[in-house]
Amino acid sequence: MTDAPSLQATAVTRTFGDVTALSEVSVSVPAGEVVALIGPNGSGKTTLLRVLAGVLEPTAGSVDYAGPPADRTIGYLPQEPTFRPGFTALETAGFYARLVDDDPAALLDRVGLDAVADRRVDALSGGMTRLLGIAQSLAGDPPVLALDEPGSGLDPGMSELVFDLVADLAAPGHAVVVSSHDLLAVERIADRIVVLDRGTVVARGSPAELRERTGGPLHETFRSLVGDEAFGAVRTREGERE
Amino acid sequence: MTRRDAFWAVFAREVRAASRSWTYGLLALAVTAVVFGAARAGSGPSAGYVPTVVDVLLVVEVLVPAVAVAVGYRAVVDDAERGRLEVFDTYPLPASAYIGGVYAGRAVALLGVLLVPLAALGVHVATTAGPETAVFATHRGVDSPLLFVRFLALTAVFALVALAFAVALSAVAGSRRRAILLALVGLLIVVAGADIGVFGAMTGGIGVDLDTLLALSPSSAYRGLVFETVLYVAFTGRSAFVSVPAAAASLAAWGLGSLLAATLAVAR
Repeated sequence: MTDAPSLQATAVTRTFGDVTALSEVSVSVPAGEVVALIGPNGSGKTTLLRVLAGVLEPTAGSVDYAGPPADRTIGYLPQEPTFRPGFTALETAGFYARLVDDDPAALLDRVGLDAVADRRVDALSGGMTRLLGIAQSLAGDPPVLALDEPGSGLDPGMSELVFDLVADLAAPGHAVVVSSHDLLAVERIADRIVVLDRGTVVARGSPAELRERTGGPLHETFRSLVGDEAFGAVRTREGERE
Repeated sequence: MTRRDAFWAVFAREVRAASRSWTYGLLALAVTAVVFGAARAGSGPSAGYVPTVVDVLLVVEVLVPAVAVAVGYRAVVDDAERGRLEVFDTYPLPASAYIGGVYAGRAVALLGVLLVPLAALGVHVATTAGPETAVFATHRGVDSPLLFVRFLALTAVFALVALAFAVALSAVAGSRRRAILLALVGLLIVVAGADIGVFGAMTGGIGVDLDTLLALSPSSAYRGLVFETVLYVAFTGRSAFVSVPAAAASLAAWGLGSLLAATLAVAR
């Protein structure tokens, strides 16, 4: 087993009844890199992230972790993080930290929530709740991080702060996979981008490689890959929904 | 992180949440009003402990599963429906430690809600009943506070079994709406459904003794144990309402089986 953590999904297919959310998707998330999953709504980003995080079993294919043994190998931020109401931010972080012998105050400090440590989670703003979700995902210092739309619903300043934090997470050698609709932020922080459409990978590469396809910014490449009709529409496989 | 550490983390979370919830206080007040009302209506407290148990037994038989379901029906489904169970999957938190912690934490709340009012009723009997009830009986035919303590202990066991059943239903529900529906169904099963099944088996002539059949339903097992070890102790020459070993085994099976089912449902 290598010391550099990495996650490898091989030919992953995931169906929900007669609906195919992912079909034969292979993705590699190496150490020290941020891999971004982008695609229209319903393209399978969240399903792939849940499979990568190990919280959803693939119908076919496999996900393999390689790296150092850890109490918690994968930190996971769900698309809509929720916390038990009635507890403060510090108590909430304390619960998760206790499961992996971590320091809750340090977790809050890391995401900039130390100033609201005593505020109840039901009184946190949407952005603060997401930051608390990121703090939760960092508990135990997992070598791999799977973050589902970490910047969703945040104001531009807070979104920038969150994506900077995500980029910093990869620097010490963590493997980070993140899904997002924020193409500017993705272009800024991602080392590699995987474009999903209708549950399959339609393109992959570095931001520069994807930009070269059209010679313009990333969103132009994105449009050319998924088509203009994808904007404002839910994209799933023919006759199927995610 | 050991399984025991994980259990205590979840247990502490549940106890802390319960200690901050005013609804448990409200439930305790409601239970107090109901048991005192039933006891006063029957004039049991002035007559002694056993008459008081007779007055409240039927009410407690229905009240215990109802309160247990109220305390337990959202125990797991809230975490499941809001995606927190998926997050827990990424932690070294085994399903058994999670279910054990949730169950034990809610059990503390449930026992507080049920036993404090019943203990207060016992104190009320002690201060209002005749002097002969103060005897700590070791023989049949004498009313005694020990009999009331037995009643409290049996009620606690019945409550723990009903809570385990409620937690199991919460674990398999998948959504809060279904959890409410299953809670109502579960309540009917515990309060009446299993009894009806027993009576059905009796009329079907399956060749099993009545006292063993009655032990199969949690309600009649509890009722039978109260009759055998509390009420009939004070009345000579009456017994064999239910098979005590069968009733104890039945309650253990319902409780442990429910917790096993809940653990398997979460581990899926």
